[in-house]
Amino acid sequence: MINTAILSWVTFIYFAAFVFYLFRMILGREFWGKLATGVALAGLVAQSVALIIRWKTSYALGMGHAPLSNFYESLIFFAWTIVLLYLLMERRLKNRSIGVFVLPVAFLIMAYASIAPGINNRIEPLIPALQSNWLTSHVLTCFMGYAAFTVAFALGMMFFVKTSAGGDLSKASVFIRLLPSEYQMDELMYSSAALGFIFLTLGIVTGSVWAHYAWGSYWSWDPKETWSLITWLTYAVMLHARLVRGWRGKRMAIMAIVGFGCVLFTYLGVNLLPSLHSYMT
Amino acid sequence: MSKNKSGIWSFFSSVKLAIVFLSLIAFFALIGTLVPQREAAGALAERISPALFSFLQQMQVFDLYHSVWFFLLSGLLAVNLMICSVDRFPLAWRRFRIRPAPQNENAFKYLPEKNTFKIRADIHQAADTAVALLRKHYGDVARADEDGSVFLCSGKGRFSLFGVYIVHLSILLLIAGAIIGSVFGVEGYVNITEGEEVSAIHLRDNHQALPLPFSVRCDRFIVEFYENGAPKTFQSDLVFLKNGKMLQSGKLRVNHPIEVEGFRFYQASYGAAPGGKATLALRRDGGGRDVMNVSAGYIFELPGKEGTFQVLRVEENLMKMGPAVKVAVRSAGKEEAVFWVFQQIDQIRKISPDIFEQVPVFNPGLFRPYTFVLLGLEEKYYTGLQVNRDPGTPLVAVAALFLIGGLMLILFFYARQVWIRMDQEKDQLHIRIAGQSYKNKAGLEREVQYLLCELKDNLERSK
Repeated sequence: MINTAILSWVTFIYFAAFVFYLFRMILGREFWGKLATGVALAGLVAQSVALIIRWKTSYALGMGHAPLSNFYESLIFFAWTIVLLYLLMERRLKNRSIGVFVLPVAFLIMAYASIAPGINNRIEPLIPALQSNWLTSHVLTCFMGYAAFTVAFALGMMFFVKTSAGGDLSKASVFIRLLPSEYQMDELMYSSAALGFIFLTLGIVTGSVWAHYAWGSYWSWDPKETWSLITWLTYAVMLHARLVRGWRGKRMAIMAIVGFGCVLFTYLGVNLLPSLHSYMT
Repeated sequence: MSKNKSGIWSFFSSVKLAIVFLSLIAFFALIGTLVPQREAAGALAERISPALFSFLQQMQVFDLYHSVWFFLLSGLLAVNLMICSVDRFPLAWRRFRIRPAPQNENAFKYLPEKNTFKIRADIHQAADTAVALLRKHYGDVARADEDGSVFLCSGKGRFSLFGVYIVHLSILLLIAGAIIGSVFGVEGYVNITEGEEVSAIHLRDNHQALPLPFSVRCDRFIVEFYENGAPKTFQSDLVFLKNGKMLQSGKLRVNHPIEVEGFRFYQASYGAAPGGKATLALRRDGGGRDVMNVSAGYIFELPGKEGTFQVLRVEENLMKMGPAVKVAVRSAGKEEAVFWVFQQIDQIRKISPDIFEQVPVFNPGLFRPYTFVLLGLEEKYYTGLQVNRDPGTPLVAVAALFLIGGLMLILFFYARQVWIRMDQEKDQLHIRIAGQSYKNKAGLEREVQYLLCELKDNLERSK
């Protein structure tokens, strides 16, 4: 199908964008940065087009649902939200150095969706449990949250790259000098985590409302629900530690990385446990 | 509140403790996803020693989320939250109530150069312009005029100081709602065969029966499939009756529960109802053919009066080879012949042609001269319903709204105060702008710069 063909091209576009961001960081020429932004934006537009085509195709096939209904579609949407959020951030901050840490995540997710065995990329009709208006709002908010946490994670990794190079910037490589200051990274990590926290809260609330209509209870300690709570608590600890206890820098970076681990387990690891949320087919 | 707080109070008002509780709850939740819970725990019992299993069971490890430990932890977190909030709320209230004076020496101490500018303008006109600008962006403006100086002050976002308390309140409501649900709520299930009526459900935790104040009849269960074999619709046509009168009726589908007198019914599962009826044909070599509807236990006389046959069992899917009926034929002077009659016997023989030699009881012609043929089973389903009553739900819904509202207040708003000071210096006006906030200092700095630029523009234009 045309949409999956475009999506596999988008995988390579994101890889190219990552390579150009890397060139910029190594060569220190802004030309590569501008090229990288342009390529990433082109990838995002192509991916949006593919998603719209996929959506329309599902209507043409008489199923009529948003492309958010199976594992393949969730991966694609995850990558889309990550790139969207990153480009918005780049525009606002006028700083391109985060791209070299964020784009590879988007690329890996797209590649996983295309290559990993056992991932079904066909458009399929909705099983009864998914036939709900809450599907779109639940998946949308959850993945916006995941994307924000991914950016916080990328910033956490950047933070360690920067600090490992030592304090003396005059001796450091171009790569290190182009990274934002530790203060800036700390602020951004906090903002991304806080944004993710709001979206995760919305995701859990919309999920609870849906569960109330579908499963008979707003909360049933399903492993996915439980892990989303664990993730929520982890970021709650992170935000409290910063706002009230004054944690900064290294500790925040560790929390951002641990939190992202929880996100990944909520998203992927839970499929190893018996769950009502299992759609890894 | 007294200044010298007791030890317990200061212990519970610590945010460190809150972080410990949040981490502990996360850890407990994690354990619960690794150790099988409730029904799933049975499988573990076979692998570990009975003593260990019963110890873990006593410790409520297999029902962690409903255990004393979890209640205790939630309760402690609630106490911690309450005391933390009560401890800090007076400060937030003071910050909310305070209306800073227009003259504020502290705000202008260490003011960076970029927050000031000089311009030739009349001080009263300039002050009016600045007041209009502040009113546009912030609201009420406090003003003080001194000889050769004007002081202005305004602020906004003060209500966001309560965001954190709204979030804490929402968590308390959530815990309260969950406790109400687990104390007064009912979680049950019931299976109803098509055409039957029930007036009790089984509780999920102890499997005891709970009578309902009404009865439920399932007229029909429908399952539809897509072409790829995935299910499309599960639907139960239900009728709710009380004292012989119909209360309500409806089509129950997944995602569309039905509520009757506080009980919510959900479509949860379905299956083939046991003990269905079958249609059997009986052929006599070189003779005619009889067709009859049978079910387990029925006894018939053979058409040629050689004896009787009895239907022993009716199976939906015997050994994954499709529907089958077990028959015993008894005849005077002969040994009883017991054998299975498969509906798909032709396909079975195609796959393994010597099946009758290998398994004689699969031969429907074991009793000569008759051959039994299973024409089909009467399809009958049962529908599996989940039945819940949770009086805590409305409270939890309110809590969710508070939680989202409070978080939005914390994240998207912040309390800040700005001061503008104008001093006449010879023929020039010295204008300084200062801002104060408890958080988002970077955002405030930007805002002050915007304000400065806009004021400069407005003053230059009005010249």
